Amino acid sequence: MSEEPVDVLIIGAGAAGAAMAWSLAETRMRIVCLEQGGWMNPAEYPTTRSDWEMDRLGAFGLSPNGRGRREDYPVNDSESPIKISNFNAVGGSTILYAAHFPRLHPSDFRVKTLDGVADDWPIDYTSLEPWYDLNARMMGVAGLAGDPAYPPKELPLPPVPLGKLGETLARGFNRLGWHWWPSDSAIATRDYEGRAACINLGPCIIGCAQGAKGSTDVTYWPVAIREGVELRTHCRVREITVDENGMASGATYIDEEGIEHQQPAEIVVVACNGVGTPRLLLNSRSDRFPDGLANSSGLVGRNLMFHPYAMVTGIFDERLEGYKGPTGCSIISQEFYETDSTRGFLRGYSFEMLRGMGPISTALFGLSSRRLPWGADHHAAYEDIWDRTAGMVVICEDLPEPENRVTLDPELTDADGIPAPKIQYRLSDNSRKMLDHAAARGIEVLESAGAKETRVEAPLPPAGWHLMGTARMGRDPASSVVDPFGRSHDVKNLFIVDGSVFVTAGGVNPTNTIQAIALYVADHMKKNLDQLFD
Amino acid sequence: MQRTLSAVLDELIPARDEEIPGAGSLGIGAFVETQLGDASSLAASGLTALDARARDRGAADFADLPTEERAPLLDEVAAQHPGFVESLFFHACMGYYQNPAVVTALGLEPRPPHPDGYELEPGDLGLLADVRKSGKLYRDV
Repeated sequence: MSEEPVDVLIIGAGAAGAAMAWSLAETRMRIVCLEQGGWMNPAEYPTTRSDWEMDRLGAFGLSPNGRGRREDYPVNDSESPIKISNFNAVGGSTILYAAHFPRLHPSDFRVKTLDGVADDWPIDYTSLEPWYDLNARMMGVAGLAGDPAYPPKELPLPPVPLGKLGETLARGFNRLGWHWWPSDSAIATRDYEGRAACINLGPCIIGCAQGAKGSTDVTYWPVAIREGVELRTHCRVREITVDENGMASGATYIDEEGIEHQQPAEIVVVACNGVGTPRLLLNSRSDRFPDGLANSSGLVGRNLMFHPYAMVTGIFDERLEGYKGPTGCSIISQEFYETDSTRGFLRGYSFEMLRGMGPISTALFGLSSRRLPWGADHHAAYEDIWDRTAGMVVICEDLPEPENRVTLDPELTDADGIPAPKIQYRLSDNSRKMLDHAAARGIEVLESAGAKETRVEAPLPPAGWHLMGTARMGRDPASSVVDPFGRSHDVKNLFIVDGSVFVTAGGVNPTNTIQAIALYVADHMKKNLDQLFD
Repeated sequence: MQRTLSAVLDELIPARDEEIPGAGSLGIGAFVETQLGDASSLAASGLTALDARARDRGAADFADLPTEERAPLLDEVAAQHPGFVESLFFHACMGYYQNPAVVTALGLEPRPPHPDGYELEPGDLGLLADVRKSGKLYRDV
């Protein structure tokens, strides 16, 4: 079935696709976005039910392989110590993200120049700064001005509450003289642009029933749709098609009923993130592009970066009320962010503090750490950890390595028979050293805050939620997939605006930067519409 | 078998206090049965073995044994049926720690987080005084 031609076809309605759609809407071009998932209903999110913690193990679990949703596609990550975590819906993975929303540092764009590793980005902090600012307003970012770890920035909302747990950890950092700051958080701490204020439900990572968390289904999308963008849900793109001139001609997709459609478009924008984007490009083979679309460099799918995570948890004597408040947003520390080669590794990491756990999660922690026995000692052991845990995850910068990559699995497919991605990934020596350093520092600060016992898990297996580098940005077509404005070197009307264009990963959560890049690319497109394909 | 399951759950998570009985008497057995899935045949064979061993000792079934004999027998059968007790205990914890009486005993209101939410202290941002004095932490490029 052939659809009416459109000016712009955006594939993926997550963090980047939403920002791109909203930004381009003012051009009055005809814009269609295809999304393989559907609209989520916040009134049905787990925290509206008494058994809410159970859904973390099922329908709202981290791995697409375990959720049993038709909207997801399977990922063969058996050859990676870090497993993929993503979500397919309007809003994409922002439905499940923690909304911890830091920016990259200026130095992150210059790692080759400053530290002699990987490559510099062809853009810099200054290029993205106005788009970080705009994104803060659109996503509704809470935070506190004056953080010495960043150039000055303005955020529209006051910071998330520290609570007793945050204060306890902050005192631990203060005793060591280490940096900490209230986290930049995409959370409406006051009523904001039609979103109700956060009421400290706790588990942001199973969907925000309050609608206070900035997932793009409640931020960019309602505005973009009002401005005329058409969003088609439950439409899974099989391949991007090309014409006889080697230009993208649109996409073939399969709707909910299994009917195949051809959507012609003048411009195609891919926004499927670090695994979905290379999967789609590699699935888009033709006589002209036998190795996949936009892949003359051979780099589509290569240089996959996660952020290797460590989780460090402390057990305290006092109750910390940690089940209240945004799980992943309280305070951040970047004491060890910038490179110091005397540490034995290059680049650095952030500490993202975690709040506590609900009753079931506490039991799961007790079971996995083998401190919760059955029998006569059960209750005393549980009481020891209930509402007495606090900790952090460490977000280590990963460096790009071509052997870490996304390919197509020879057998695995999604529900529509489209080949699924396969992950090959190995933890580098630099990452291992960084994880060791970070875990030791994490223990130090938790003990400084009063923890009587600590536990480390590194690398954290389910933490493959930051997916970057698989269609990297650069000036040289031989060593990059897209140019400094997100346009494919090979296909002049094909743009990519997600985590796959990252040249390096930094040591912070990437969503803010993904969206800033989408807004920056969209701005360039709008200013150069008459010469976009030159 | 439900009677045996209930007695086993009472051993795994015993009475917390006078208010809250063991997990079996609290009625967690029905939840556990719905959750076992692939582990249900493992559970059935373990429970059957417990009853058989109890009969060897002259009791009608496991629940009929004197209470002090139950835990040691459970230990024995657990060793012979790897994973049996672990899977029951896992699901018992999942059911027990969402039970309204248990949740209340932990100091929470027995309700979902939404729509009432929770109050949270903003905290003392004065704790940042020293951090503010530390000077710029990012590198110039």
